[in-house]
Amino acid sequence: MTTLERPLPADDATATPRGVIGTSVLRKEDDRLLRGDGRFTDDVEPAYLLHMAVGRCPYPHARVVRVDASRAWALDGVKHVLVGADVRAATEPLTVLRPVPGAPALPYYALAQDVATHEGQPVVSVAATSRHVAEDALELIDVEYEPLPHVVDVLAALEPDAPVLHPSVLNSNLLAANSDGSGDPEARMREADVVVEGRFRINRVTALPMETRAVVAEWRPGARELTVHVSTQVPHLIRKQLAETLRLTESDVRAVASDVGGGFGLKLGVFPEDVLASLHAMALRRPVKWVEDRAEHFRASTHARESVHDYRIAADASGRILAMTDVYATDIGGWNSPFGSAQLSSVVLNGPYRVEDGYAERRVTLTNKTPVGAYRGYGQPEVNFAYERLMDTLARRLDRDPVELRAQNMVKQQDLPWKNPTGAVYDSGDYERCLRMAAEAIGWSAHRAAGRVPRADGRLAGIGFSSFVERTGYASARFLARRGSQFGAHESVTLRANRSGGIDLYTGVSTMGQSAETAFAQVVSDVFGIDYAAVKVHAGDTGASPLNTGAFASRTMIAAAGALKEAAEELAAKTLRLAAARLGADAAVLEIAGPVVRHRDDEGVQVPLAEVFTTAITGQGIPPGEDPGLEATSHFEPSDAAYSFGTAAALVSVDPLTGEFDVERFVLVHDAGTVVNPTVVEGQVRGALAQGFGAALTEELRYDGDTGQLVNGSMLDYFVPTAADLPPLELLHTEVASPVTPFGIRGVGEVGTIPPGAAVANAICDALADFGVELSSLPITPEAVWRALADRAASEDPDDHLTPTPGDLPDGGVGY
Amino acid sequence: MTAHPTALPTPAATELLVELTTTVNGDAVTASVPPRLHAADFLRQRLGLTGTHVGCEQGSCGMCTIVVDGEAVKSCLMLACQLDGRNVQTVESLAADDRLDPLQQAFKEAHALQCGFCTPGFLMTATALGYQGGCPSRAEIREEIAGVLCRCTGYENIVTAIENWFAGSARTATDEAPATGCPGGTQ
Repeated sequence: MTTLERPLPADDATATPRGVIGTSVLRKEDDRLLRGDGRFTDDVEPAYLLHMAVGRCPYPHARVVRVDASRAWALDGVKHVLVGADVRAATEPLTVLRPVPGAPALPYYALAQDVATHEGQPVVSVAATSRHVAEDALELIDVEYEPLPHVVDVLAALEPDAPVLHPSVLNSNLLAANSDGSGDPEARMREADVVVEGRFRINRVTALPMETRAVVAEWRPGARELTVHVSTQVPHLIRKQLAETLRLTESDVRAVASDVGGGFGLKLGVFPEDVLASLHAMALRRPVKWVEDRAEHFRASTHARESVHDYRIAADASGRILAMTDVYATDIGGWNSPFGSAQLSSVVLNGPYRVEDGYAERRVTLTNKTPVGAYRGYGQPEVNFAYERLMDTLARRLDRDPVELRAQNMVKQQDLPWKNPTGAVYDSGDYERCLRMAAEAIGWSAHRAAGRVPRADGRLAGIGFSSFVERTGYASARFLARRGSQFGAHESVTLRANRSGGIDLYTGVSTMGQSAETAFAQVVSDVFGIDYAAVKVHAGDTGASPLNTGAFASRTMIAAAGALKEAAEELAAKTLRLAAARLGADAAVLEIAGPVVRHRDDEGVQVPLAEVFTTAITGQGIPPGEDPGLEATSHFEPSDAAYSFGTAAALVSVDPLTGEFDVERFVLVHDAGTVVNPTVVEGQVRGALAQGFGAALTEELRYDGDTGQLVNGSMLDYFVPTAADLPPLELLHTEVASPVTPFGIRGVGEVGTIPPGAAVANAICDALADFGVELSSLPITPEAVWRALADRAASEDPDDHLTPTPGDLPDGGVGY
Repeated sequence: MTAHPTALPTPAATELLVELTTTVNGDAVTASVPPRLHAADFLRQRLGLTGTHVGCEQGSCGMCTIVVDGEAVKSCLMLACQLDGRNVQTVESLAADDRLDPLQQAFKEAHALQCGFCTPGFLMTATALGYQGGCPSRAEIREEIAGVLCRCTGYENIVTAIENWFAGSARTATDEAPATGCPGGTQ
């Protein structure tokens, strides 16, 4: 047996060589990353490499009148220059992986054609002998722009007098509107004893992976082979999109994503620079590298979340919810990016609460800003902020305990599975238990009994809750097909035995921090019986993996676990048959135990796996009727999406004079179903909470309305949490197996992004209830609290509310 | 980054080069470099030490942190020619053969990394912190590592790893003499 991991830690892998599901084995990914031996895209350095630099539109909206690159061509070291017409002649527009239902295709080329619609949109591109020379060359290109009127506010963009971004295909900036729902919520609103409503503004943020985007493209015309090393979550989808855009076949394209320095949804699909690097490489027959710099990243990689939600909850006098509606405008930026507009605000419209009459309407709106794409949470933090703020408002209106009001309305365990108003089927769980655990852990009863007594220093304490369900994975490919999505709901793996007695595992899922290599090897070890260390994972190369879907939507494990299980079972059955022939025993009495196949009751009867595998691989000595080889590929689609759930509670102290506040405690109780690796799961939850706190408290990409410029597009001006910024986080778990996935797994990667905003806002509003403070915007800053205290908040026009569109809109809900 | 309507004068076709002599991970290095080449690019592109990552090129993110003369510095804010006569340590210096360094082992056991892109920055920041001697508290560790960003872990396990390393086998002097061990640690 080959020892693939050295040294084995004394207290873990040697004691538990099997990577049994549910144990915290140490990660497969770590040794190379700790040693500086990762293979990130910028670490790929082929011979004769050239470097690309991209010139970008400095205006939010401008006509490209003239491009003169003659002086750049003359610069020593410059090999190639691309302008818009070159791209138009050689490529098709970039494709969209998840179209918005009802949206027209936008002619989104890798370089701006006549008009650029956001600051940072690529306009020219240079390949040269070094990055220095390529950037020098950009300075020599003369681009004449005619600035056009711009609009950056999402509601202003929907006004009749707004400049229209894409007049050739649309007569307004509404890319599309979709609705989902059931019952008659408007009738329930009229009948209700109480209706609470609010406008909730969600900030524009960005995923900000520590590794920016990067690509290295190589073209061998004789072999018709474009090899693209690219920092992506979806190598097989990049391959498809590049083939489409570059007018190649998929056979001509190989995409490789070795180590990816964080993705979080941002690296989902092809970007203009991937196409440009390929075009340069194909023109020059030399490899071309582009590594995005951070200033580009803030303007050319996708942003997320920005939306305005007009949310209403109707209830009777007992507090029972009668109807929930959300009409929201969501900002897509200047173009429809590959993964487009977040879709899950509609799907989990009602959170964990039981309601029959519900309605969600999404208005996807174009503005002169960087395109919006997927980001961890994908609509769920946004809608959670709206309905959980209103749950507290409703509790105050009815003079109810907000915990009891939540518990009263939560879907009960015995009522699951249950279909929500937008058609999502919540699979299983005990929502109220998580709520009660959170209330207990944060000390809710004592806090409520004590009343709002200022502390000695004048600060007021408040506790706030946020309860949620989280959609993880996808409903079947059947649903996806109905909405035109360009991918399936399954995951695929290949297992291949080798002569050293190990198993090679091939997956198209790239490694970006989610610990897939570790978890995949655990499942194989658990099902097959081989040592965890003897499973080697090869990830992210379309040339060496079965055609899969990719790592997004918290879907990898819930789909891949089934494929891994099937493939491991198939491989184990054949291994046992071959070993039985070799040992002269019945396969039924044999078992695979680490490096050997042995008799269950007689350890003296055994054969090394290396021998069995060699027998299969050479075909020498296999019994009659068996084929040579020992390899299995499996594709697996779970029967439905799985819904994670939980409740967060925040304890906050606020200075009522200044609005300054401190999150003193934060408890998250959550359920991810069966846990494959508890340490990894806790790491995922903590990491997502850190991003959740960033988006809730400090992160906001701000555009100047007059100039249309991004005013804080650098790491000096955009504040992601540092180690010194986060509050203490207390994690509690329940573990209810999901009936719709193998092993009962639920997705776990995104959960932490959802509740921080609502929980902290609710805590501040609880502390300041006597002042009538109601927070309705993110991020929550001391200034925002101070403005609310001083009644200086900008007032919203009460007649301004977004109202449901009469008539039928395309269905945009579940399955997305 | 942006193509401006007004262009700068054409730069010289041949760049001036400067000589530098430095020590990197114990090896003497002599090189001729353009004056505008920053230290991180020099380490990555000239010496093949790609464990030093580049995240922002403005000294904010800390991915490129290395140790120079015992102190943590951001190598994107330093020109290669400034390494002349200095003693440079990168993440590649830590492990010996197949054995992880105790600091790396502490990170592994505490699950202090996910995507791993920031990890060399934290390892080198902690290495320099070890050189300062003393036994930092968790709060002090948080302050000390706040110059390196991580978007994956939420930092908790990084703090734990460094605390455990101090409690166990942190090297607290440049001669790599092991410390007697700091209190604390959770393993």
